[in-house]
Amino acid sequence: MLPKEYNNRLDAERAVSNPAQKKVLSRKYKNLLLHSFKWLLALLVAFIILFPIWWIFTSSISPAGELFKKPIKYFPDHPTLASYKYLIEYVGLLPKIRDTLIIVGLTLVVSTIVSLLAAYGFARFKSKGLSIAVSILLGSMLIPEVVTARPLYEFLQTVKLYDTYTGLIIVYTSGILPFTILILQNFLKDIPASIEEAAAIDGCGFFQTMFYVVIPLMRPAIATVCIVNFVTCLNNFFTPLFYSNGISVLATAITQLPLRDNMYSIPWDLVSAMGFLIIFPIIIFVSIFQKQIMEGIIAGGVKG
Amino acid sequence: MYANKKYLTIAWILVLPALLIRGFTTIYPIFETFRISFFDIKILRGINQFVGFQNYVNIFHDSKLLEAINFTAIFVVGSMIGHILLGIVLALILNMKFGGQKILRTIVLLPWALPMVVVAIASKWAFNNDYGLINDFVRRFNPSFHMDWLINTDTARIAVIAVDLWKDLPFFAILVLASLQFISSDMYEAAKVDGAGSIRSFFKITLPLISRNIFVLSIFFTMWRITSFDVVYAMTAGGPGNSTDLIAYRITTEAFTNLNTGYSAAMAVTLFFVMAILSGLSLYASKKVDY
Repeated sequence: MLPKEYNNRLDAERAVSNPAQKKVLSRKYKNLLLHSFKWLLALLVAFIILFPIWWIFTSSISPAGELFKKPIKYFPDHPTLASYKYLIEYVGLLPKIRDTLIIVGLTLVVSTIVSLLAAYGFARFKSKGLSIAVSILLGSMLIPEVVTARPLYEFLQTVKLYDTYTGLIIVYTSGILPFTILILQNFLKDIPASIEEAAAIDGCGFFQTMFYVVIPLMRPAIATVCIVNFVTCLNNFFTPLFYSNGISVLATAITQLPLRDNMYSIPWDLVSAMGFLIIFPIIIFVSIFQKQIMEGIIAGGVKG
Repeated sequence: MYANKKYLTIAWILVLPALLIRGFTTIYPIFETFRISFFDIKILRGINQFVGFQNYVNIFHDSKLLEAINFTAIFVVGSMIGHILLGIVLALILNMKFGGQKILRTIVLLPWALPMVVVAIASKWAFNNDYGLINDFVRRFNPSFHMDWLINTDTARIAVIAVDLWKDLPFFAILVLASLQFISSDMYEAAKVDGAGSIRSFFKITLPLISRNIFVLSIFFTMWRITSFDVVYAMTAGGPGNSTDLIAYRITTEAFTNLNTGYSAAMAVTLFFVMAILSGLSLYASKKVDY
């Protein structure tokens, strides 16, 4: 048996000279370095995206005077809700929120029903006419809004739908129809028709089959398109700008805020408050539905 | 399922609402745009007469439009180069395996979800010389920095492109990320066994496999850029002068502000053909191009 000290010395020597252990150490160090590099990159990206949003928020709760001070205070000394109050009292914020919700909400309902019916028709029935119709429908996605804007404006005025909820909902719906039909149709094609046939044999009528068989099966696809369409509709600026006047949704209202008497052409106190009011629900919404949104835009983007 | 002919009536009833809505809001108006592009219509002066191709001839003599085409080209090319280069980088960042992956992806979705008009109008203030976010940030490092971004032509153009990138790059990156995820990890394992480092496997495996997807995506993103409208509407209104005037903005200004509908229709038809050619190209590319 070796003396105790000798054994210890051997251990110590081993620790220094053992190449395997050295490799483990350096790999650990390398991993740590790689990991901190990843976090650094992620923080940089997060900063570029989140910092402007934070700035909009702090501007919205800064007293108007503090907005004209250099350097910017990213944590205001005297936070105030004055801008929001002004928006409610003098700019008619609440009716605008109501209009936005009515239009976006009803658009989602109408577009989902119309697209479901159409997607079902296109996915389950085959004929030459139908396949021409579906290619025109999807092809019309490529017609830019600006190309059709003026005639559509005049058409809406002739049929008395200009500046009405109905007119706006139709145009909003039209904007999201091709995408919605495309996604729902692709999803339907993956569901075997034999399930519906079985339901028909069991005595279900067409509407019963739709309600009790098809729609429950399609729930995830419907949820995805609704979530993506909700964001698309909220962001729609072109439609309310050109096809409405009295009805004012938040997206257009932010460009029409009353100018303050300063040399700068935008009332930043009000713009930041209204901007944050639009942004905040979207942030919450995106955080909740991150997964579905990713799926939705990937399905629409890659296949489209 | 319903192969029988008599069921076809049901099918047409099902698809009819969608066809009607799209028909009245896009198909009918585009024919109408074609028609009025041959008329000289000046609503303010009560003029409405057939002029044949005169509106199309005028396009080539319209200095404002040529300026708009010029900036649209700069905008599209500049923005697309940024999209492709930074988009791949951002997609790789999003694809990194680490603890913050999910929250980072959520954060990156935000710019896509925000309305462009809000982003653009906030940017107008952010690029303000005295009180804007951008200059405030630069002044933390260089206190004497002074730059009126939106007053000078070049910097205004850079600012517009930068805002467009901030807003839309994440969307591009997420779509690139999707194609990254299609690449099976076996490939990287095999490359590693063969001794390829991560940089080498990026250029030899990743890039060739995603390049086709990036090409198709780029055509779509180019088409969206060509018809961009809100960024310039809310941020610069085409200024200074007409130096940040985009074609789509020019068309709507002519149609809704100057009420020169015939001429704006001619511009719109031309734009439509450009878009049609591009989409034909994308269709061709998505079928033919293979690496």
